[in-house]
Amino acid sequence: MKTLAGMTVVGLLLLLLCVWERVDIVRVGYHIERLKQQKVQLQRERDELRVKVSSMTAPERIARAATEKLGMGPPEQGQVVLVKVAPDFAPGRGAELRLAKSDVGVRIP
Amino acid sequence: MKSADPYRWRRIVAGLALMLGFSGVLFRLFTLQVLQAAELTEKADRQHRMSVTVEGGRGGIYDRQGKVLAMNMEVPSVYGIPASLENPAGVARDLARVLHVRADDIERKLKREQKFVWIARKLDPEQGRSLERLSLEGIGTRMEGRRFYPKGPLLAHVLGFAGMDGQGLEGIERRYESYLRGETQKVVLQRDALGRTVFPKGLNEQGPAPGHSLTLTIDEVIQYIAEKELDEAVTNAKAKGGVVLVMEPRTGAILAMAINPKFDPNSMSALTPDRWRNRALTDAYEPGSTMKVITAAAALEEKVMGPGTLINGENGQFAAAGRNIHDHEKLGWMTFAQMVQKSSNIGAAKTGMALGEERLHRYLKAFGFGERTEIDLPGEAAGLVRDPKDWGRQSLASIAFGQEVGVTPLQLLNAVAAVANGGWLMKPYVVSEIRDGKGTVVAQTGPQIRRRAVSAETAQALTAILEGVVTHGTGGKASIAGFRVAGKTGTAQKIDPQTGRYSPTLFVASFVGYLPADDPRLAILVVVDEPRTEQWGGTIAAPVFRRVAEQALPRLGVSSKSPIKLALYDEYGEARRDRVDRTLVRLASVGDPS
Repeated sequence: MKTLAGMTVVGLLLLLLCVWERVDIVRVGYHIERLKQQKVQLQRERDELRVKVSSMTAPERIARAATEKLGMGPPEQGQVVLVKVAPDFAPGRGAELRLAKSDVGVRIP
Repeated sequence: MKSADPYRWRRIVAGLALMLGFSGVLFRLFTLQVLQAAELTEKADRQHRMSVTVEGGRGGIYDRQGKVLAMNMEVPSVYGIPASLENPAGVARDLARVLHVRADDIERKLKREQKFVWIARKLDPEQGRSLERLSLEGIGTRMEGRRFYPKGPLLAHVLGFAGMDGQGLEGIERRYESYLRGETQKVVLQRDALGRTVFPKGLNEQGPAPGHSLTLTIDEVIQYIAEKELDEAVTNAKAKGGVVLVMEPRTGAILAMAINPKFDPNSMSALTPDRWRNRALTDAYEPGSTMKVITAAAALEEKVMGPGTLINGENGQFAAAGRNIHDHEKLGWMTFAQMVQKSSNIGAAKTGMALGEERLHRYLKAFGFGERTEIDLPGEAAGLVRDPKDWGRQSLASIAFGQEVGVTPLQLLNAVAAVANGGWLMKPYVVSEIRDGKGTVVAQTGPQIRRRAVSAETAQALTAILEGVVTHGTGGKASIAGFRVAGKTGTAQKIDPQTGRYSPTLFVASFVGYLPADDPRLAILVVVDEPRTEQWGGTIAAPVFRRVAEQALPRLGVSSKSPIKLALYDEYGEARRDRVDRTLVRLASVGDPS
């Protein structure tokens, strides 16, 4: 009789476990769906920001802001100086470059 | 003996009733689970399963530095369910405020006897948010992919555009449609009683793969420089339009392709195909004097002429095959090099005649005229180079200085770039890399040689002559301090469509060249169509060439080889000229800063 009762209890527990598992699957399913929705939403926001960043950094917009707001202008002849480091240049020796419109210079301590 | 159990019958009846009840349940279960199983499963599936078609997003387009030129974004489209609207007029008024369209137009749509109507598609995300705040009954939104070109009109003619349903219609969008388009997949979703999606079948199910992304050879900044300078030149010259092409002569990679007039691919509704045609490759024109580069290359290669060969300029007037040829200045005896530098039509005609029809035609073909360059963009024209047997009496002389041939700007630049490239004709290209949705490179394009057009010696000799065009010829305004520039001006008369003859007022002003001449990194073509202020390629197009090159060179890290004056300072600010020799850096400059 005791064995029968024990088996019934175990059976019932197993049944409950089964039911709990099914319920939990559905619950987690809903959770996954919510997270998926959230992911899609975040991806949309990311894309929107990327488009915004991209249009804000358009060369045309930067050039307009530079000339109209900041009073900057394209460099004139002689103002653009390209500096190439010689092959035997060793960094960290304190060599310093000073380049300006009317003052192109190299300072070596 | 009477039974001691007075409830026996009751028990029997109850037992029988229970058995009957259970039998009924079992029977019902059997019918449901076994007999009607297939039918009911199908019915249930119909109710809680939903099959939808999902499409992966269209791939992005990036410049050579990875800057976004075109990308997809999910945006809301708004629809209405007319049957569930109580007050269509009121709803239409609310919608009109957000959508910036007329309320009566929306109202008309909402009063249609349809189950579902689109009110507006692919709105701005901000409009979508405003609609959500309104939360109108009977109005809903659905997300759809929309193509965005964040840089507006920049590179529009090359990028092309995608249609309302996301299909590429022009430019790269069309040419690379099969790569850019995302994968389409049917997905089955499980819905609960409220219509919410429940547990997706198979957690590992991958969504549809997004389209491939493209990396271009175009440099966004050089493209901007080219467009800005072209627009300015077209405005100043009151011209009809123009083209600026920038190319790497060694590889054939296109760095910029600017076309004027421009258009914004984000708002296409009011535009005609004429506006978005990529004239750099669809429109052939008579190039005029820039063609003398090819005539000269042929003459040098065939040793018909040398740089020092003397040609009589006939004092500006010469009759050849019944046609009077004029020069813009009266020239007497001159060398072959001077003929190119002064852009003498008479000299070029004589060179053409010395070459003969067959040889001139052969070199036109060798430089790629009359055939497509096979650039990876749609709509390319082959231009017009007739077979010598169809040439008229004057054709030989005319073709030698750029008449009676039709070339596209791209063909012309590619041909001149071949001279810059030691005689090798390359295949121009704009897409350098294709990556799949995960970022893995699936295809790469590198430089492709088409053929050798002329020998390296000829290319070198011609470069020296073309340098002279800039230093003491018609192209002086293309010169850049600190750089050796080789190029050729062109001022071509256009045919007047009314008369069918060369117009005295309609011109195409152009300049084509490359630099640094001793180690070419850039080949640039400038074409200004129908300038009104003056017509000369040397004054209209050459300065554009200079300004584009001047700004593009530092961008590519190309420095002048000519020395600049340099002062060295010690830590106390004292000039130390003795240390000049020990300088660790080599300074180079565009121009002389002193």
